[in-house]
Amino acid sequence: MLKPARSDGDISGPDASRSSDVARVWDPMVRIFHWSLVLSFGIAWLTSHSSEDIHNWAGFVAVALILLRLLWGVVGTPYARFSEFVRGPATILRYLSTVLAGQEARYVGHNPAGGAMVLALMAAMTATALTGWMMTTDACFGVPWVGLAHDSIAHALLLLVLIHIGGVAFASFRHRENLVAAMFTGRKRK
Amino acid sequence: MYRAFVVTALGVLMTGPAFAAGACSTALAAQFKPKAMLEARLRGEGLTVRQIKVENGCYEVYALDKAGKKVNAAYNAETLEKLANAEAGEK
Repeated sequence: MLKPARSDGDISGPDASRSSDVARVWDPMVRIFHWSLVLSFGIAWLTSHSSEDIHNWAGFVAVALILLRLLWGVVGTPYARFSEFVRGPATILRYLSTVLAGQEARYVGHNPAGGAMVLALMAAMTATALTGWMMTTDACFGVPWVGLAHDSIAHALLLLVLIHIGGVAFASFRHRENLVAAMFTGRKRK
Repeated sequence: MYRAFVVTALGVLMTGPAFAAGACSTALAAQFKPKAMLEARLRGEGLTVRQIKVENGCYEVYALDKAGKKVNAAYNAETLEKLANAEAGEK
């Protein structure tokens, strides 16, 4: 590394943009995945009591997106890889304690808590879709615990989404950057 | 004549919703026929009943037929009349 990357902690990604201090962080696959997943969750949520067809398709699409993302997390661009942002519980807790102390580092990719949220959201979405699909099978149709599980996990997923949005807003404020815009443009400052 | 027409129209309006084909009951839950009665009838038809939900004046049945295939149907909770739309109670 030629120059120190500000004072901002562990930045292990590539410097994609040579010309300025802007880095191309989120590749198109990551961005399309993110917003398509948002759309499928939103559509599934809104159609849960109105259109079974659309609701079910939204679930299938969500699972397909997550499968692609899992693959992309292994073979994709550097910031998209799980190895770049998945951290152990100790690192995540240490990061959160620095947040409480108001001294958290800035990350160009996901911070450790954000990385954990990526996994939590994908796991909850997968579990919601799986239990939802189970409800349509002869084996599980009308079995009360399956419906209850689907309902509960879907609500837990909504809660995670709200925490995710809260975390994004908080980190944007703390580091004076617009992380929502970054998920559209793919670009962040280095 | 005019009076008869008005009385008839009012009568239809008042009793209509309760007996309209394909609709859930609008009566209070106290007027509903017991769930167990519906369940017994369905069992008599050879269905394995998994769950019966009360939904806005309807009973929504989740069951399996003799072949083990899922069966989803809604019944007016007051008359136990089977409705065309299994999701009639959902809004």
